[in-house]
Parts: sequence; structure tokens; C-alpha cells
Amino acid sequence: MKQELLQLGNGAHALALQILGNPDDAADAVHDSFAVALQKPDVFDASKGPLRPWFLRVVRNRCIDLLRRRREQESGIDELTHQSADPEQALQFEQRDEDIHLAMARLGSEQRQIIVLRDFMDLSYAEIAAVLDIALGTVMSRLHRARLALRKELSQHDD
Amino acid sequence: MTISTEPIKTHPEEQLSGYIDGELTQQERQAIERHCEQCESCRARLEELASLRLRVGKSHLSEIGEDKWRETMNDATVNISRNIGWLLFLAGLMVIIGFVLYQFAIGAEIATWLKLAIAAVYGGLFVLLLSVLKQRLVESKTDKYKNVEI
Repeated sequence: MKQELLQLGNGAHALALQILGNPDDAADAVHDSFAVALQKPDVFDASKGPLRPWFLRVVRNRCIDLLRRRREQESGIDELTHQSADPEQALQFEQRDEDIHLAMARLGSEQRQIIVLRDFMDLSYAEIAAVLDIALGTVMSRLHRARLALRKELSQHDD
Repeated sequence: MTISTEPIKTHPEEQLSGYIDGELTQQERQAIERHCEQCESCRARLEELASLRLRVGKSHLSEIGEDKWRETMNDATVNISRNIGWLLFLAGLMVIIGFVLYQFAIGAEIATWLKLAIAAVYGGLFVLLLSVLKQRLVESKTDKYKNVEI
């Protein structure tokens, strides 16, 4: 289990980053989720599905908790599901991916999450539905809209 | 959802994403392929989406290496053992305090009024300690500026 979790680190961090918009907060969320998974391994029930979507769901829930806590402290923050990415975080990555980061930063949180889950982590639609807690039939349309939005942002940037 | 293998008359849109993700049934795939043979705009859209998917997949959306995650995981393990350590320590401490209190209460060498006075002193200190801890806890939860670096 430990080794499998280890391999999920980067993907989980990428997902948390799309929700929280800050690399350090995202790393904290992954750290807390590792602690949950290692502290209470019995919570994961292999008969209900694979580890990967389960762990990503733990990470996502942790991020939402952190956002909620942040909202309580700072009034007037954006709607939880529309938390915008920190544009500065996009610049912290390598230059070659700058376009993608900048374009992603302009999408909504839900769109960024679904793109990361499918195109970066290669999750199946069923796994995505489990992580995002949405109906399987919703995944394809939501993902398609997200991709079109990303394509539009990229083409605007390229122009 | 079942789709006829006839070419789709309207542009399939979201099913193009399903196609590049390999999430369609064989019938649905065939229907998309037949449509794209005749529809230049959908063919171009399909290529765009496929190349976009590839581009995101190859990008570095997280730059943290595996070593760092191993370290993070070890931290999480250390936290677990630390919590277990604290739990054992507090449980042992409570047993010892309980035993001392019991011995103090049943001991005959100290007068009852003196026992009550000593109990009042320690009880008062304990209540004071609790109130300070509670105040600190409330402050730390409501302090908006605790993360501000000076």
C-alpha cells in the first residue's frame, strides 16, 4: 500500500493544487491524506474499488476542508467550487509548461480537477466519477466542456 | 446508451472526448469513425482534442519528486508513532495520578482539613491551567494573522 501511495504523490499534489491554488498548501493536504491512509488503513475497503480513486477522494475532501477553514478565516473568498488558482503558482514550474499552467489557471476549479484526473493521471471515467462524487454519465460532458475551455484559453494565449 | 452504427447526422461533440479516451462502446466508436470520415470539422476537432490530451499528459503539473513524497510519508508515519507515544504517556500519567490521589485520600497520617486544603490548592491550579489552555485554543483558532510572516 505504501509503495502505491508513494506513486500517487505527484498526481494527488497536482489535483490538490487545482483546488487550493498554492503548492505548499497542496503538499500539506497530500501529507495529511498520507497520514489518514497510513493511520487508518482499515478505512480503505479493497472490495469497493481500487486504492487510487479512494486516495484521491481523501485528498480532495481534505482540500475542501482546508478551503472551508480558509473561508472561515478570510471572509469574502470566492465560491468554494470556483476557487481560482493562484496565477503566481503557474510561474513556479518549468518554462516549457507555462502555457498549460496559465491556461489552466483561468479555468474553474471543477474543470481543472477533471482535466488533471483524466489527462494527467489517466483515470477512467468510472474512477473520475468516484473521486468527484458525480454520476458516471456526467463525466464525459463535463470533461469535454473542460477540454474545450482549455483549448480556447490556449489558443487565446498562442494568438 | 446504444448508438446505431449509421453515421451520426449531428456533430457528436462530447462523444469525441469519449472516443479519444477509449470510453465508448464498439458501436459508438464505429459511429464516430463513420461520421468523421464525412465531417472535416469533427475530424479536426478530434485531432485537436487528442493533441491537447497528449500535451496535458506530458506537462509537469506537479514538480515534487518521489524522494520528497517518501520523506512526507515518513513524516506522516512519525506523526502516527508520536500520537501513540503521547497516548501511552498520558494514560500512564493518569493511572499514576489516580493512584497518588487515592493514597492521599485514604492515608491516615494527614488530617482531613489539611487534605481538603491541599486538594483545593491543586484543584485551583488545575482549573486555572484549563482556563488558560482554553483561552489559547480559542485565540489560535480565531487569529486571522497567525500565518502572516513578519
